[in-house]
Amino acid sequence: MATWTDQRVRPAPRAVVPPPSPRPQPARSQPRTVLGLIALGAIAVVALWWLDTPSVSGFGDWLTNAGRITGLLAGYAVVILLALMARIPAMERGIGTDRLARWHSMGGRYTVSLVVAHALLITWGYAVTAHTNVASQTATLLTSYPDVLMATVAGVLFVLVGAVSARAARARLRYETWYHLHFYTYLAVALAFSHQFAVGADFMTNLPARLLWSALYAGVAALLVWHRFVTPVRQALRHRLRVAAVHREAPGVVSVHITGRHLDELAAEPGQFFRWRFLTRDLWWSSNPYSLSAPASARLLRITVKDLGDHSAALARLAPGTRVFAEGPYGAFTAARRSRPKVLLLGGGVGITPMRALFETLPAGPGDLTLVYRASRPADVVLRRELDAIAARRGAQLHYLLGSRAKLGYDPLDARRLRALVPDLAAHDVYLCGPDAMTEAAERSLRAAGVPRSRIHAESFQL
Amino acid sequence: MRRAALALVATVVGLVLLLGFKSHSATSTASPPAAVSAPTGSGSSSSGSSRSGSTSGSSGTGSSQSGGTAGQSSTAAATKVTGSSVGTHYGPVQVQVTVANKKITAVSVLQYPTSTGRDQQINSYAIPVLKSETLSAQNANIDMVSGATYTSLGYIKSLQSALDQAGL
Amino acid sequence: MSGVAAVPGLLPTGRLPTRHVEHVMGTVVSFDLRDEVAPTVLTDAVEWLHRVDRTFSTYRSDSQISRLDRGELTAADCDADVRSVLALGSALAKASRGYFTVRPAGRLDPSGVVKGWAIERASDILRAGGSANHAVNGGGDIQLAGEAAPGQPWRVGIAHPHQPGELVTVVSGRDIAVATSGTAERGDHIVNPVTGRPATELASITLVGRDLTTVDAYATAAAAMGNAAREWVLELDGIAAFAVPAAGAPWWSSGWAAVGSVPVAA
Repeated sequence: MATWTDQRVRPAPRAVVPPPSPRPQPARSQPRTVLGLIALGAIAVVALWWLDTPSVSGFGDWLTNAGRITGLLAGYAVVILLALMARIPAMERGIGTDRLARWHSMGGRYTVSLVVAHALLITWGYAVTAHTNVASQTATLLTSYPDVLMATVAGVLFVLVGAVSARAARARLRYETWYHLHFYTYLAVALAFSHQFAVGADFMTNLPARLLWSALYAGVAALLVWHRFVTPVRQALRHRLRVAAVHREAPGVVSVHITGRHLDELAAEPGQFFRWRFLTRDLWWSSNPYSLSAPASARLLRITVKDLGDHSAALARLAPGTRVFAEGPYGAFTAARRSRPKVLLLGGGVGITPMRALFETLPAGPGDLTLVYRASRPADVVLRRELDAIAARRGAQLHYLLGSRAKLGYDPLDARRLRALVPDLAAHDVYLCGPDAMTEAAERSLRAAGVPRSRIHAESFQL
Repeated sequence: MRRAALALVATVVGLVLLLGFKSHSATSTASPPAAVSAPTGSGSSSSGSSRSGSTSGSSGTGSSQSGGTAGQSSTAAATKVTGSSVGTHYGPVQVQVTVANKKITAVSVLQYPTSTGRDQQINSYAIPVLKSETLSAQNANIDMVSGATYTSLGYIKSLQSALDQAGL
Repeated sequence: MSGVAAVPGLLPTGRLPTRHVEHVMGTVVSFDLRDEVAPTVLTDAVEWLHRVDRTFSTYRSDSQISRLDRGELTAADCDADVRSVLALGSALAKASRGYFTVRPAGRLDPSGVVKGWAIERASDILRAGGSANHAVNGGGDIQLAGEAAPGQPWRVGIAHPHQPGELVTVVSGRDIAVATSGTAERGDHIVNPVTGRPATELASITLVGRDLTTVDAYATAAAAMGNAAREWVLELDGIAAFAVPAAGAPWWSSGWAAVGSVPVAA
């Protein structure tokens, strides 16, 4: 029998800390607003070309102007992509790190295409209007037009970064290698910037346009520097995080308790994660995301990690007092997304950690909150005692769905079983977190069971 | 993949629409930039109008117009009419036309952008086209013919002899 | 463009321009004077051309050049003009990297520079006599002075090498010299001194500059270079070029825009 509910009352383990006192809501951007602003910006960019171009006639002119439009859009898209990755807190909380990463990746593919299209169209268009062939026009562009050679190198870099970031390539690269190669985009942006003004028809004689464009780039650069470099340093100095203790929760599962000063200023909400860097000789060079497995308090942050690889195994050996660098908090997987009284938390594998924090603090009356924990084997279940205690204390439902689908012969998360498990499922908000295969299947079942897409809140760890 | 195809199609359609709108405005809003008032006679094109194919660099209606009305200097036989200098993307363009006996006999481009290599590339094509377009509307009206050196025998069949005979 | 021009109109003074045709130097020289000058001025110019012919013609065995070539005379014995022409020839040979030479195939034959030089001097004679506006066309090599009419530059049509009777382009300007060289008219008479074979890559090449002496010699050199002339002409200061290859589309230097029209693409 795979499912059972434990309603026995047990004393609360000391590791569970009381939720923080209510505080004013931090800023959260809405996805639709941000997308709308991006679209408005794109329209403004095209309008720049529109106002600047009296007429277009002849094949060469068509090509050249198509090249200009794609060039302008590419220059704009590049700065937007950078802004998405600037780790701006309002966007991280409101849109979510995983969603921002997806937007960046889709947008990145489109932008690289725009860059290539721009280069080809301009070269071809110039060749047609000057009545030369494309090869000699390319040579002329590269050698006698200011800054075009640099921009071409930048274009090649963009294409390379794009190729390396393609899924097939990424599967073969170590994460760190890909991560460091990706930084060449900064170099590419720097190399390409000047040619926009030196040869861009819409900028060459238009000072207001140049000023606005420069302000856009400068603004995003400032955001990047502030949020990705300055803020972590400020936080490190302010909070002085150190490992307080490492608890072994179960074989292969450890909780790391991290202490520091003024932690309430971080405003870390249950469901969020940090990018952790433990300053030991072996671990200082890598930064890994782990969710808080308990609500943050003024003195304590806790993460719970299962031994899945080098890094997670090394955490078990951390000595108390080890300094910790944490960037964050990130993530939109918070109570703010909820819209109904009834909430279902559906987690599996590593996804149970943010669930554990939400389970404790998500405002809900008795009977309105359900946690379903999906695991292949009983040994995979972590923090069971705490979950049981919270369920008991809050009057929440707690279901463990154990066993692999192969062994069971059926999918415990199919629509019919979910509906049986959670009465009135269609009226719930559902938080979903776990391995991608599980969450995709679960999402399909939930939709089939009548839960609208707007009330399924998923977080993916595939950043 | 489907999203990529959609993005590609949307981009191409968007580009075509944008460019299409601008081509139409070429025929409706482009008026000769130079205020030429000299009579031009049968079939001559007015100064400064561009043929399709040349870029806006050589004669486009630009975003700014500097002042100046047509200047005229005339002698008994020929009138030189100078159009106003028109600002284009690439720099100012100004065209002067010489009219004699109600025909355009010469077109000079007084001002044209030369600062970048691209300007020069385009000038080398567009300006002669402008001149020849204007002038080929009438007969070539040449005074002399130069061809690979001809002998006395060759001369007889040459164009130069036709000219000489007409003039003698 | 059609080939035959209309009759030039009356000059402002009501006169017809003075035109004269003279067979000399193995070709036909056409004069077109647009000012009123004493008739002796034209006669002097014509006489000058005959004198050049007597001194330099390689077809006359008794010309100084022929005798110099045979060794019967030394350079010191010849007229000062001969020495200046030979000096000019060496300078032009150097400038054209040997493609222009006064010793093609070993013989002494400065005709490539003599014709242009002679015509330019003829134009100087006319100018000294008071003619500020005239054209002298020696077998296709033309020196122009002043303009065709007040406000009207000279217009020179360039014969299309592939389409007899047609023009390939029109040059217009004031105080310019126009010279065309190539294989079209006299057959393969220009020899590429590097390969020793007739130069056939360019059907015709036209150069425009200030003085006919230089322009004529450079046009001959360019025709001898063939397609390689394309790079060389770009190095020449103050010279614009237009070439019709034996096969392929015409090409022209970037400076051509200032002086000539180009074939309009269909």
